[in-house]
Amino acid sequence: MAFDWDIFWGALTSQAFVQGALLTIALAAVSQAAAIVLGLGVALLRRSGAAPLRGAAATYVWLFRAIPTLLQLLFVWNALPQLVPSLRDPWFTPFMAAFLALAINESAYMAEIIRSGLGAVDRGQVLAGKTLGLRDTQIFRLIVLPQMIRVIIPPTGNEFITLLKLTSLASVISLRELLTVTSQTVAVNFRFAELYSAATVWYLVIVSIFMVLQVQLERRFHWTSEGRHEPMQTGVPAAAGALNR
Amino acid sequence: MTNGAREMIRADDLVKRYGRNDVLRGVSLEVERGQVKVIVGPSGSGKSTLLRCLALLEPIESGHILLDGEQVAGTGTTLRDRQLAPYRSQVCMVFQHFNLFPHMTALENVMVGPVNVRGVSKAHARAEAMDLLTRVRLADKAHRYPSELSGGQQQRVAIARALAVRPKVMLFDEPTSALDPELVREVVDVMEELAADGMTMIVVSHEMRFANEAADSIVMMDDGRVIEEAPPDRFFKNPAHERTRQFLQMVER
Ligand SMILES: Nc1ncnc2c1ncn2[C@@H]1O[C@H](COP(=O)(O)OP(=O)(O)OP(=O)(O)O)[C@@H](O)[C@H]1O
Ligand SMILES: [Mg+2]
Repeated sequence: MAFDWDIFWGALTSQAFVQGALLTIALAAVSQAAAIVLGLGVALLRRSGAAPLRGAAATYVWLFRAIPTLLQLLFVWNALPQLVPSLRDPWFTPFMAAFLALAINESAYMAEIIRSGLGAVDRGQVLAGKTLGLRDTQIFRLIVLPQMIRVIIPPTGNEFITLLKLTSLASVISLRELLTVTSQTVAVNFRFAELYSAATVWYLVIVSIFMVLQVQLERRFHWTSEGRHEPMQTGVPAAAGALNR
Repeated sequence: MTNGAREMIRADDLVKRYGRNDVLRGVSLEVERGQVKVIVGPSGSGKSTLLRCLALLEPIESGHILLDGEQVAGTGTTLRDRQLAPYRSQVCMVFQHFNLFPHMTALENVMVGPVNVRGVSKAHARAEAMDLLTRVRLADKAHRYPSELSGGQQQRVAIARALAVRPKVMLFDEPTSALDPELVREVVDVMEELAADGMTMIVVSHEMRFANEAADSIVMMDDGRVIEEAPPDRFFKNPAHERTRQFLQMVER
């Protein structure tokens, strides 16, 4: 059975595959976003002055990094509704379950990344903010956060790519993401090579798009005047700026 | 709040410990409005620690700090750490390693205080910041980031940033010791202009030329204590302490 390009192309552009790919992107994006927020909270707790809070945060990281992601997913989808009756309601879809499981799992990793990012900000930066009379919340928002973000972009990009692929685990709870769609189609026509190739191309496309976005983001956190788009306000044309460096 | 007295900042019998290490063992210091005080002393004598305490960046074990007649730290004050922020901008510190915010242009570094501490509008803060950068002769670098500036330029931006919060006292911790020798002068010039304009300053520095030209008095610290204080000519020509004499010989090579 030779590779049938028509089947490959048909699958690649089929509505099911496109929707599966979009679902994959959506699940990874919302899970990553929630994981960053949760991870930031956990990282801040790990640096807090109160030992019980630090301990709780460390336990959180330990627990959700130790348990296999697949098991967490199955737990959230199958076991949680058994324990929490309200999760038996229709709003608790496979997407919600996958989102919950992946966000919590990923937040444990993000907490560690953010913790090291916070540690990378020089203590002198905080002192400089304090001596100007900035309040602690202002120091965090205006000074620490931007410098922390710059440090965590590359590892977070890594995490996001991993997460994109982890969404395929949600096929076990019948979420119609990219891999589920592929498996279901294969089960009908047994065209393994064509369909797996189509899925591969979709993953490559998705990851490539996000790699480009990451480069753009990193450029925004590259703090030199060259990268800036707004015109210089000194009357010196932007191009001439390079001369008086 | 200003008081009629001439005293701007006063430290009484400050004691500061790090763990079991007594770093300040009862330091008293008084600086009058518009005065410039230079602090010298061997490494580890507690000069930086004293400045950080005066800048309200470190809690003290005992003693008092009075700022413009008001007690802001020490035994008997009820001010909590969160309430200190407004006082901190009144004793603004300039650091040895500049500590500019790397993600902000020179102009944004200078604007951040006025906008967020004094609550002035961005437009107003921008104009004010531009004036301050002009004052430190860096108007043409306003849109540069710290990584694109020399050490001397960065320190001048840091001085402008401190001036922007309108401090009553400025504290300088070895402001030129991280600079290449040829860049020291441009920073010292700016500091001498500030002194001449009547800024109250406490400067930890071994720049003897600045001490000689700008200081009203020089304080010698050793092992967590002030051991001598005198006007520059007496301090250099006729120091009272043997320890000071040794130290001066060492600094002047
Ligand atoms: N944050 C800190 N934690 C613990 N010990 C500290 C801390 N800061 C300073 N010390 C100790 O306090 C003593 C005085 O240090 P300090 O930095 O004030 O000296 P200094 O006079 O500024 O010295 P130098 O001329 O080298 O800058 C030193 O023994 C130092 O080890
Ligand atoms: Mg020091």
